[in-house]
Formats: sequence, C-alpha cells, structure tokens
Amino acid sequence: MKENQEKENQETPGAVSVPSRQDEVVRVRNLVKTYGAKGFQTKVLKGIDLTIHKQDFIAIMGPSGSGKTTFLNILSTIDKPTQGTVVLDGQDITEVSNKELSRLRRDKIGFVFQDYNLLDTMTLLDNIVLPLTLNGVPAREAGNRAKELAQLMGLSEHLKKYPYQLSGGQKQRGAVCRALVPGPRIIFADEPTGALDSKSGKDLLECFKAVNENGQATILMVTHDPFCASYAKDVYMLGDGKIMCRITRGNGRKEFYDRIIDVQTSVGGDFLCQ
Amino acid sequence: MSMMKLALINFRNGFRNYLSLVLSLAFTVLVLFNFQNLITSGAFEVLGTRNREYVEIIVNMITFVLVCFLFFFIWYSTNVFLTRRKKEIGIYVFMGLSNEKIGKLYFLETMFTGLSALVTGLVFGALSSGLFQMILLAISDLAVEIRFSPALKPAAVTTVIYGTVYLIFAVKGYINLARSSVIGMISAAKYNEYVRQKNIVLLLRSVLGIAVLGSGYYLAMKRGGMEIMGNALAAVVLVTAGVYLLFGGLIPAFFQAMAENKRFLYKGSRVLWVNSLIFRMKKNYRTYAMVCVLLLCSVTALATSFAMKGRYDSIIQFENTYTFQLLSPRDDLGQQAEAVIGEGNDIAAKSRIPILCLDSSLVESRYYDNQYAILSWSGLKELAQEAGMEFPFAPLEDDQIIKVSHLYLMSLLTDRSGVTIAIGGKTYHQTDDTSIPYLGYLQEAKSFYVVNDREYERLRPMGEELYTYNYRIRDTGNFIQTRDALDGFVAGLEGDDTARIAIDPQSNELDWVKVMYSICVFMFLVFVLASGSIMFMKLYNDAFEEKERYRALMKMGFDREILRSSVKAELAVAYGLPFVLMAVSSLFSVGALARMMFMDLTGVNVVSVAVVLGILVAWYVLSVRAYEKNALLFR
Repeated sequence: MKENQEKENQETPGAVSVPSRQDEVVRVRNLVKTYGAKGFQTKVLKGIDLTIHKQDFIAIMGPSGSGKTTFLNILSTIDKPTQGTVVLDGQDITEVSNKELSRLRRDKIGFVFQDYNLLDTMTLLDNIVLPLTLNGVPAREAGNRAKELAQLMGLSEHLKKYPYQLSGGQKQRGAVCRALVPGPRIIFADEPTGALDSKSGKDLLECFKAVNENGQATILMVTHDPFCASYAKDVYMLGDGKIMCRITRGNGRKEFYDRIIDVQTSVGGDFLCQ
Repeated sequence: MSMMKLALINFRNGFRNYLSLVLSLAFTVLVLFNFQNLITSGAFEVLGTRNREYVEIIVNMITFVLVCFLFFFIWYSTNVFLTRRKKEIGIYVFMGLSNEKIGKLYFLETMFTGLSALVTGLVFGALSSGLFQMILLAISDLAVEIRFSPALKPAAVTTVIYGTVYLIFAVKGYINLARSSVIGMISAAKYNEYVRQKNIVLLLRSVLGIAVLGSGYYLAMKRGGMEIMGNALAAVVLVTAGVYLLFGGLIPAFFQAMAENKRFLYKGSRVLWVNSLIFRMKKNYRTYAMVCVLLLCSVTALATSFAMKGRYDSIIQFENTYTFQLLSPRDDLGQQAEAVIGEGNDIAAKSRIPILCLDSSLVESRYYDNQYAILSWSGLKELAQEAGMEFPFAPLEDDQIIKVSHLYLMSLLTDRSGVTIAIGGKTYHQTDDTSIPYLGYLQEAKSFYVVNDREYERLRPMGEELYTYNYRIRDTGNFIQTRDALDGFVAGLEGDDTARIAIDPQSNELDWVKVMYSICVFMFLVFVLASGSIMFMKLYNDAFEEKERYRALMKMGFDREILRSSVKAELAVAYGLPFVLMAVSSLFSVGALARMMFMDLTGVNVVSVAVVLGILVAWYVLSVRAYEKNALLFR
C-alpha cells in the first residue's frame, strides 16, 4: 500500500485505500457475498473496499468464518460476488465470461495453495513449466524461465525429482515457482505455510519477501498465523464480513509481529480495532 | 450398529462407485447363464444325434473357457475394488475396529456387490436368453424353433460356478485386509503407483519380451505335423508372456524416453498426458496386457468364424459338385445312366473317369487310409475339360505324384513339403496337393493320387479298375424321384457291384459347423466386450483419482479444453497400445489359422481387426465421456 504509509495501524473499519489508479492491480468496491436460499441467506462479506497496488504484499487475517477464504476466492475469480465490483488489471471480473475468467487466471493470477497442488505425476521441473507449455511458450524458453526461478527459490538441485521425493517446504517453493513462472500481475496465497514446519514456513516467507522486494510479485496472502502475516507489508484484519482494521509495517518485522499480536490479544480474537 | 447394517449402508450409499463392478460381473453371469441355457434348452435337438453331440462338446469346451475367463475377470475386478475400498474402509481403524472386523465389513460389502451382480446377470440373462438363441441360430442359419425357456438348471449351474469363484476372491479380500498393516490400508491407493522405473529393468524386460513374443510368433507360424498342437499351446503361452513383458518394459521405456525429450514434451497438453501415462504405467501395464490378450482372442475368434463360414460354404459346394455318382466295373453305363438321370432333370455337368482302386496294403503313405485310388494324368485332364474345371498341372515324371484331396474344415498337418508315397514298392514324390473337386463327394471317401499314364498302366495289374459316372442336375426338385429311379436302374444291372452315390442338397450333416462358427462370433463378442469393460473400469477408477488434480489445474486457470485434449490423448494411448500390439499379433494368430485351413485369410484378418477397432472406438468415446464427467465437471 503506497498511500497512508505514514499512518499506522489504527484505521477505521471498512477502510479504503485512496484510489490512485497508477500501478493499481486490484480494486474492490462494495464487495458483498451472500450464501443460501432466499429467506435463509447468510451474508459472508458485507461490503469490502480495497485497492492493491503493484509490489504490495498484503496479508488477510481473521478468525474462522470471518470470510477470508470467500474473499480470496472472489478476488482470484474462483467465486463470484453477489454485489460489488472487482477490477483486476483494469478489467471488471464480475462481468466477464467464464472462458475469459480462465484466461485471466492463467495469464494474470498465480496461485499458491496450502496443500501445494503439485501434480505428483510429473517432475518438479515439469510442474513449474506446465503453465508455460499450456500457453504455447517454446520448450527452451519455458525450461530456462523455470530454471531461473528454481535457482531463486533454492530448488535447482531438485528439478528432476517428483513431488513425493520432496519435503513440504520444497514442494511449496516449487508451487511458488509455478505460480510465478508465467509472470502474473498478482499472486494469491491461501495459508501457504499451513502445512509446513516453522523452518520451512520461514524459508518460504523469505522467498515471498525476496520476490516481492525485487519487483517480481505482488502478493495477497490469507493466513491466520501472525508470524506469517508479519512478512507482509500490510495486514488487513477481517471480521464479521468486513475489514476491521489495517496494520502497516513500520520498523522491522519483529516490531510488526508484536503489533499484530497486540491487536489480536487486545480484542480476544475478535479483531475489533480501536 | 451391526456390521451387516453398516455394510448395507456403505453399499447403498456408495452404489454409484460399485456400479461399474456390478455391471461387469453381471455381464459375465449373463454370458455364462446363456451358454448353460443353450445346452439345456434343447435348441439343437433338430440337428440330429451326431450333430448334437458335436455341438455339446463344443459348448462344453466354450463353457470351460468361459469359466477360466470368469475366474480371471473376477480376480481382476475384485482386486481393483479391494485397492479402492482399502483406503476408504481403512478409516475405520481410527474408530477402533480391528482388522478382522474391517475385513468382515469388506467381505459383506463384496457379497452384496456379488449378489447384486448375480441377480442382475440372471434376470437379464433370462430376459435375453430368447434373443441370444435367436442371434446364435440366425448366424448359424439353422431352422430351429426359438423357445423362451429360461430354465432352473442353467440358473443353478451358473450360480454355483459364479458363486464359488466369487466366494474365493471375497475370502481372499477378507484375509488380505485382516493381515494388512494400518499404514498399508490407509495408503493403499498410493502403493500401486510408482513413478519412474529403472531403465536397466525396463531394458531387460523389453529384450526378454521381444524374444519371448518373437518365439511365440515363430511357433504359431511354424508348419508341421501333429506337433502343431503343442506348438500352438506354447505359442499362446509365449505370446501372452511376451505381451506382458512388452507392456512392462518396452512401452514404459518408450514413454520415459519421450518425457526426457523436453522439446517434445513441452508442447500443448503433452506434458500432462505423457507424465500421467508414465505415472500409472506400473499399475496399468497388466491391464493393458490383459486387454491386449483378450482383444487378440476376440479377433482370432472372429477371424475363425469368418473363415469357417467361408470354408463351410466351400465344403457344401464341394460335396455338391455332382448330385449323382455311379461307381462300376462296367465302362458302358454312361448313356443309360444319363437317360435315367436326364428324365425330368436338366443335367448341368457330367464327367467320367476310370479309377484304379488299390488295396491299402500296397500303399505306404504318411497317413493311413483304407481306400486308395489312382488316376491317370490324361484321364483327369479329360475329366476336367468335360466338367469345365481347371487343370493347372504339368505332365508328371515317372516318380511324381499329385494328391487329389478334399476340403478340410481345418487340418493340424500344415507341412506338406517333401511328402513321399510308396505304391507297390516304388516311391513317388508328391508334387502337388489339390482340392479341386474333380470327383466331388468321392474325394471325401477315398484317397486319390494322380500318376502319369505310363505309371498308371504299370500299376493297373495291381488293382481293380472301376469307372465313375458323375452328374450334376440343375434343379434338385426331382431329387428323390431321380434317386429312386437310379436305384431301380442299378438294381436292374447284372451283378451287384455297381454303387450309387446321391448327394442330398438338403443334408444337414455339417450343421454343427454352423453352430461352431456362430459360437465363435459369440466368443468374439464376449472377449471384445470384456476387454472394453475392463478398460472402461480402469479408466473410470483413474478418473476418480485424477479429480483433485484437474480441479487444481482448473483453479489455476487451465482451460477445460486443454484438459479435455489431455484426457483424450491419454485415453487414446490407453486404448491404442493394446490395439496396435493386438493387430500385429493377429497377423500371426490368424496366419496360423490360415495355415491350418490352407487358405489366405488376409482379408478376413483385416476385416476382423477393423471390426474390433470400431468397437474399441465406441468404448473409447464412452470412456472419454465418463472420464470427463468424473474428473472435469465440478459442481
């Protein structure tokens, strides 16, 4: 978040970034999502506004049922909102066809799942190259791009291995390579460290930080882990279908982590920001 | 909750998953029931005692083959089912159920499945029994009245056979589960899938596979005498083993090499389906091999049927070359016999030739016969001209001989080279073996040899010369009257050494052959449907396992069309590999058949393979749809 950098953690619920259109990757306005039949509806998201700019690294936190996953699913075009708009790279994804959505997901979005979702039928290299080959990128170029990213993630030694021969952390870093290889506008990560031990989780987050800082990726990550969230530049607390507050990183990760913990403990897990 | 109730609930809730197994098993029950029903229905009573005995022998043999098939089919399908259930049912370990109890649960579920299949198979078998007999007899062209008679005995026999085999495998499953480790149960689905196999192992298997398959082909095509039966059996075993080794070695090696070539691999959806094939090869190669062998059986059965139908027609035509034949020591009966036969009939062809009948003690040939007769080269040439038949033989040397034989349905003696015959102490080299029907039905009754005229004259004192008078009438409407008139004529001749042969055009002596070739068609259907359903079951299962992978890919934005093209390519290879190997192997299996029948079966081979291809394409389309429905459509 470029704007309001000077302003620290106490933002009003439902906070909206100032709409500066430059470098804007995602713009969400009045996002509402309702489930259930008429008369028995549950409102999961109750009007969210958010803008994500290039090179942002955002963590979305919140208790179970706060709407984190629904929010991520809508942003990543897997689900559709009941109301509101989501503009991805200048295109309102609520108004495009399913085929176009597939293209958007393929070209502009990278996914990192909690359970990696690497295909166990192929080697790590083939897994990373997969999005490129299906997009018709020539074999040599695809291979080179995959190898470059693998080097960045410390996976060069493991490219010929199958997922079952890799550790959880290696698999997840492989998944990040796969998400990054087509050069997407944004990476959506759903609990990326959820299945990893603390060391592997930390390695992965360092990788996220590195690719974000060197300009390779804009990241939106859903997590319930404050440690994981402390690697982001901004943390949005979601509660009861709304953004309760935003915490922006200041002087170092440790201090940021403490502030996240403080907010969490001060509200007893309800994330009501004051 | 009792185990029985839990098993019933599991069975009811998971019926959709069990459906493919139930239907496949029901199909085998239906086939077995219909065969049993055919024996007991009395449908073949019309064929006469001799024919019926033949047919019953054939049907019993086929039943044996079917039981073997049933055995392997149940083995295979319950195994696939066990692997799938093991993982799901293994969850009960965490609920404190002992392995024995889990085994019991599986056993009960399996019994429900088996029972459903038995009932479905018997009901549909009973309903289709009339249709089945109708189809069989329609192909046979037999005039048998079809009765809708699903009897109790065939149902009981089917139940006993199927029940016994099924119970064996249900108990086997129980023992397997009772002895499984917890971890083995939970990760059962993964145990069957290994990714890459060692190249050296694949190479060894490939070399061995090619050698074994090649030996099988060689034995199948090797000409010989009675040893050909042994050769054929060895060929079946070797080809089966060779196919297994090739699928376990050469084909994975080939695909692994393809995966190494990234320029090839990173093109379109290849990276998906080639890797997927390699991934499953270790588990699936047995299925591919089994399907290949079954397809080979089916194509051979169909080719046998086509060939037998052709040969049956030829034999009938051969036997009916002449309607009436006289065999007499008198050489002056031609005009009188012609007058008798020509009364009310139009004589279409006639011929006459003296034959020299020899006592069997004077002849030493490769195979014993008790009636030998010698023809002179020019006498036979004259007959051929008279009857309008071809005569493609060059004049013979003194030590040369031509065998004039009849058409065999099939002969195990495929080596006819270097045959010698000794007559009256002199050895002759057989230069040819013809089945041109110069003497029609007589050729089936005696062994005829042709020598040159000089040798004929030399041999004449050793035997008795008889004259044959042969006539074919155009319209056989007066057959019985003419036969009776001819009998009267023969009886009126002085002495009683003139014989009369009358070929009844309505004779059903060979009707058992018709049943045999229609049973071959049925066997073809059984095998081709079985191979298709095995493949279908396998891919149906794979689709379930692939679901999560495809879901993830679609989440990532991979177009459904790309995934669909990957599925189509993968399934095309799965069906294509066994088909191609089958088509190559059929050249040898049908080739062996061609040698036994002494006829060119290339056309039959091509048509049979094309028929199988057509059916496989239908299975393929069905499998692609099922696969897409299970793996690519998400709610």
